[in-house]
Amino acid sequence: MEAHGHTEQLSGAQGMAWLAKRETLRVSKLWTQTVLAPVVSSLLFILVFGLSLSGRVRNVSGVEYDQFIVPGLIAMAMVQAAFSNNSSTMFQARFDRYINDILSSPMHPWQMTIGFVVGGIYRGLLIGVGLLALAIVLTGISIAHPAALIAVMALCLVLFAAFGTVVGIYAQSWDSSSFIANIVILPLAFVGGTFYSVELLPSPWEELSHFNPIFYMVQAMRFGLLGESDVSIWLSLGVTAALAVPAYVWAQWLFTTGRKLKA
Amino acid sequence: MYQDDVPALELRGLTKRYDDTRAGWRRQGTGGTLAVDNLDLEVHDGAFFGLLGPNGAGKTTAISAICNLIRVTAGEVLVFGEPITSLRARSWIGLAEQDVNLDRFLTVRETLIYHGGYFGMGKEEAESRAEEMIDAFDLRAKRDVRAPKLSGGQRRRLLLARALMHRPRLVILDEPTAGVDFELRQELWSYIRRLHAEGTTILLTTHYLEEAEALCEEIALIRGGKLIARDSADGLRERYEAANLSDVYVKAMRSA
Repeated sequence: MEAHGHTEQLSGAQGMAWLAKRETLRVSKLWTQTVLAPVVSSLLFILVFGLSLSGRVRNVSGVEYDQFIVPGLIAMAMVQAAFSNNSSTMFQARFDRYINDILSSPMHPWQMTIGFVVGGIYRGLLIGVGLLALAIVLTGISIAHPAALIAVMALCLVLFAAFGTVVGIYAQSWDSSSFIANIVILPLAFVGGTFYSVELLPSPWEELSHFNPIFYMVQAMRFGLLGESDVSIWLSLGVTAALAVPAYVWAQWLFTTGRKLKA
Repeated sequence: MYQDDVPALELRGLTKRYDDTRAGWRRQGTGGTLAVDNLDLEVHDGAFFGLLGPNGAGKTTAISAICNLIRVTAGEVLVFGEPITSLRARSWIGLAEQDVNLDRFLTVRETLIYHGGYFGMGKEEAESRAEEMIDAFDLRAKRDVRAPKLSGGQRRRLLLARALMHRPRLVILDEPTAGVDFELRQELWSYIRRLHAEGTTILLTTHYLEEAEALCEEIALIRGGKLIARDSADGLRERYEAANLSDVYVKAMRSA
């Protein structure tokens, strides 16, 4: 009946691919909650704020208002989705204890980190691309700098998928991760220049906006889509990368040491 | 490849101290609860080995250490001669945990296929093996049902099927029949016996002593994280001058 397997050298790559597939499958199975809902809510912002206010607010920094808000809304939806996807998948895995099936498997810790992070990236990407396609149709927006857009999307997704993984590993309850999402990420996204140019803000609010990391992500997205930004694209990409690297390293450290994952 | 005459499992000075304080990680190894205390154990290849002891004896902790699920305080775990940190050693172990820990998003079939994948199987191999396990554990009617919708007995069967999915050389069963009805228990044991007859090493923990007596070739009794006796059921009966394993257990625990 049984023939004992795996006498050959294992690399763990197969396991990592299956874990990544599992994480993307979860997103696909729950697509109405994971993809459709955030796309619809962001779409409502474009319709309500963009199309209805564009008659009153003619343009910001030389850009039509309905187009001006699109980059920030896409960035907001993507980062929130990547974060909440990974915080919930990690917490669920710990809560139901099926994480043990993964921790006991022949995978290296770095492969587990990649496998989990891929889920958040996948979900954020589906939302970002979906919203962008709808925004092109609705507002006529185009892509000014594709390379910058790809770079900032990649960095934002890695940053928030990794950060979500970390929060999901530390979380003691479902409320812990929603606390971070609602009390930290959402407010920072709203005051990150999505709906306005920070140059229009009085002092000290304009200066304070520069301490908001999401401000740089919104600016980089705006540069990628509209060719317009309140700060240099290199500064925006640099700040986002400077946050993405430690967030990823933190997630990796948790898998390597087993801290909070193993008793 | 496999090494001849190498034990299936070796625990050398295995120690695990749980940190009970919030900042316990700063003082790893100094405070907290000592769950496993310098435990040495060897299980030979092909054995049906029972690990018995009261609640809190350290059985599940020892199993968690073997399966890379806890951070050990000290000691070494070798599986067929390889440290548990090696991928190969981990691929040789199949674990059915005491608590049901199934992925709620996956169906029965997906649970098996994905587990096979995590353990290094390719798509086709995992799919065909999953069908084999579905039939072997009578889960055909629930093949496309997600874990939360299964009955208690079906979940137990799925846990065992998952543990065996990647054809492990060492199968660890942590109280696999806890809360299982008589009929299913017989069914599960019949499968495990067949597996053992084909050369798989089995490490079993159970509170059903008659079950351990009937199934295990060798039994270790542990208490307070320490080994207190180890022998065949006959050997233990003789040593403790007891009529059955239950009497052995009572005497051994009293004297520990």
